[in-house]
Amino acid sequence: MPRKKRAPEVELNVTAMLDMAFQLLAFFILTFKPAPIEGDVVLRMPRAAPTTVVQKAPAAGADRKNTNPVQGLTSLVITVLGDDNGSIQGLAIGDSQVGGLPEFATRLPTVLKDEGSGFDQVLVQVDSRLDYEGLMQVIDVCTRQQLANGKKLTKLSFVELPSGR
Amino acid sequence: MGGHRREANAEPNLTPILDMVFQLITFFMLVINFKTASMDMSLRLPAVGSARPAEIRGIDLVVLNVDRRGTLRVFGNEIRDIGGYIAQEAQASLLAARRYNPALNPGDDLPSMIVIRADKRTPFRLLNRVLVACQENGFRNFSLKALSRREEP
Repeated sequence: MPRKKRAPEVELNVTAMLDMAFQLLAFFILTFKPAPIEGDVVLRMPRAAPTTVVQKAPAAGADRKNTNPVQGLTSLVITVLGDDNGSIQGLAIGDSQVGGLPEFATRLPTVLKDEGSGFDQVLVQVDSRLDYEGLMQVIDVCTRQQLANGKKLTKLSFVELPSGR
Repeated sequence: MGGHRREANAEPNLTPILDMVFQLITFFMLVINFKTASMDMSLRLPAVGSARPAEIRGIDLVVLNVDRRGTLRVFGNEIRDIGGYIAQEAQASLLAARRYNPALNPGDDLPSMIVIRADKRTPFRLLNRVLVACQENGFRNFSLKALSRREEP
């Protein structure tokens, strides 16, 4: 039997591949910028509209059985005043003043969950001086709330108040 | 005279270093985040307890960076005509959305989401210019960016 011929040894030149791999590595290291994990507060901002649904509301005095003065209103109005530093200076739910953010967080759920209210969105009147941080603190409280129908509050709209009001 | 002795062939084995480099490349490829190109990392976002990374998939995002002076930046470029830029984005969003919903008309609610990244010291009057421009052009879905309290620097 003839002896098997030994196959010639083939050596791969990996130097070029290593050069390319190092270049890729350098690119990724130089462009690597770890970003902090950012959170989202997702809102649906409806088209600007009157706070009272006029078509649904009966004429004044027509419904004598209605003892609920806020029936027909679907937007709860919240007012946020700011100071010259951009911080929250005052808060109000409807016409009633609220002491501060903790009290606001306590009173808002009772207003929104009131069976007779029928609120499905919140209109926030914001002082033009209030900074984004103060606004987000108010939005944070609002987006934690549930409506009387059990749904989460996601509809918010903003109106700018002139400064010093 | 005797002939020169042939020098020993000392070639380093490059296979392990190549393995290691490829592993490093794989790592960086997996962790690279091209989204950061659209973010202005100089902005200091507010910290909010309820801010959580949202699962936003299949929705076109328009990322708007607003600094404390109210300057709008998109992919690092300063946008001077805010209304004009938002109108262009709305037009592009409408054309994209019509592929799935041909009945969509100008002025209808757009499915794209506006992502607002604003500095925590931005006054509302400057931020509101951007919000109003978006709302006037039919954008209804907004995501306001904030750090969760754990990420607060």
